[in-house]
Amino acid sequence: MAIFWFFAALAAMGVLSCGLQLWSIRSYTKGRVSAAAGHLPPVSILKPLKGLDDNLFDNLESFCKLDYPEYEIIFALQDRNDLAFKVAEKIKRRYPDRGISIVVQRCEEGLNPKVNNLIPAYRKSKHEYILISDSNVCVRKEYLGQIMARMGEPGVGLVTNPVEGVGARSLGSVFENLHLNSFVMGGVCFLDKFMKMPCVIGKSMLLRKADLEAVGGLHGVKDVLAEDYMIGKKIAETGKKVVLCGFPVQTVNHYWSLKRFMNRHTRWGKLRWRIGGARYLTELFLNAVFMSAMPLVILGPSVRTLALALSACILKIAADFYTGETLGSRMNPLLYLLAPVKDMLIGFAWFVPLVSNTVVWRGNRYIIGRDSALSECPETGMAALIYHDSPEYREVNAK
Amino acid sequence: MLLCDFHIHTRYSDGSVGLSRTIDLYGQAGFDVIAITDHVVNSDSLIGKLAHRFRLSVRQDNFEDYMRRIDSEAQRAWNKYGMLVIRGVEISKNYMSSDDSAHMLIVDIKKFIPAGWSYEKIFIEAKRQDALVVACHPHHVSDMSRETLYLWNNREKYARYIDAWEIANRDDVFNVISLKKYRYVANSDFHKPRHLYSWKTLLNCEKDVDSVKNCIRHNKGVAITLFRN
Repeated sequence: MAIFWFFAALAAMGVLSCGLQLWSIRSYTKGRVSAAAGHLPPVSILKPLKGLDDNLFDNLESFCKLDYPEYEIIFALQDRNDLAFKVAEKIKRRYPDRGISIVVQRCEEGLNPKVNNLIPAYRKSKHEYILISDSNVCVRKEYLGQIMARMGEPGVGLVTNPVEGVGARSLGSVFENLHLNSFVMGGVCFLDKFMKMPCVIGKSMLLRKADLEAVGGLHGVKDVLAEDYMIGKKIAETGKKVVLCGFPVQTVNHYWSLKRFMNRHTRWGKLRWRIGGARYLTELFLNAVFMSAMPLVILGPSVRTLALALSACILKIAADFYTGETLGSRMNPLLYLLAPVKDMLIGFAWFVPLVSNTVVWRGNRYIIGRDSALSECPETGMAALIYHDSPEYREVNAK
Repeated sequence: MLLCDFHIHTRYSDGSVGLSRTIDLYGQAGFDVIAITDHVVNSDSLIGKLAHRFRLSVRQDNFEDYMRRIDSEAQRAWNKYGMLVIRGVEISKNYMSSDDSAHMLIVDIKKFIPAGWSYEKIFIEAKRQDALVVACHPHHVSDMSRETLYLWNNREKYARYIDAWEIANRDDVFNVISLKKYRYVANSDFHKPRHLYSWKTLLNCEKDVDSVKNCIRHNKGVAITLFRN
């Protein structure tokens, strides 16, 4: 009986946290800002590219249609043979007057491949304001004006946006978008609103070069995996505000496999475990669906355990559906029925960071240390375990 | 170099993706030239009859609609992506034995060609329409269910009608085409989104239908590449 009530209480807390996250999302989306009428300074948009993202052509093109007086776009690639190069070239040819440059330069200054990609683009950028934007982001034409309006507020050092997943056409993509639009967006908005914790999303970061240089520049984050979070954290530590903008940017996920979904969220879980430490534990306890299933597994099926699991599932489906409606999502309403399945998978994936600290990202394998510090993972299996115990690995984690 | 794929199926036959979405998948990935080549299946065998029963074939009665849709999407693809879309079909002669089965692409087809016709008649009609004839997956493939060996087994008889042979199809590479010094292209045989990542053709020519066909027929400035993310 005690076990049942213990997990029932956790599930209730999980449902409550869903409600709070939903409230946070609503409060952000209600406070949408309009474009500034005042001075709009020129901006350099840095787009690190690697491989084909779903909807890549439209994503890149959306940045060529921004309603903003002066900006340049720099597409950065490590390799001319990258599949994204051809798409970038097509976009450049299509918008010859848009100030588009393509920088192809192999840069191996750090271990974070995205930062390596950004360093040459940053060197080439000519404006004081830089917008770092991932290749899988699609924006509306008012986007840059709106985030610059927030940048113009006193004391602001960095402006970021939550991310909304759209366009799912496979099971993996449905799970990905459900998770981005509930747990990830809710978590970001919740931390910002209630905990006053800057939670920067690398998919959209507007900042000044002077502020970035003051915290060590891109070189200061070249060997961490969560370069976005660390930049935001460092800027907040200088006393400048990190602002979460009132509308999400869209990331299009058409054809994700289940494996890719699980891979990303175990990787992000490892990040949060390494950055948040004990706070990571609360994620499992606040997974209402997973917690409500525990009595069913431990005590077996009964009216009480089934009712608890079913109630949590219904409430979670309703919360995710309502979040989707709040965001104006066009997802088929029936797909929200999959939310409990996704939460169960996420519940199992939660345990992975506790037993593994290697991540595979964009084809590279790393060991992830404190504050997401990266070190090379030369081997897998037993050799990797030996490496975990080596002095150089301990040195990286002691930093 | 133009990044090309001349072997693509949609829901007009047994593809899992509709025509518009297929065009967008290729356009978003930066392709320069593609051909939509849904199956036209013979109906004189059990397999062929089943294909017709489950509407997995372009038929004479919907051929005009198929052509119109491709033309309309081709216009959109050209305007949006600068991508050339060519009309085509895959004539599919399916029998119980792979030795009797053959598939061939008719690229830049203008009028319906029934799969029940004899090989000679199909090839001559394709030539009359100035279409390109490509022998598909002509040798042993990793997926036995797709094996079609008839054209290869009868190559002495039919090679003169064939403009190019698939030297690579999806994940399979056919070195026999190289050994025979036949003209070649490489295609994805696209049925599902994941098939986008497969063997492709690179052409060094202008981006128009006649230049593309001539480039393949003369087989100069043709290369193949494994398109992987």
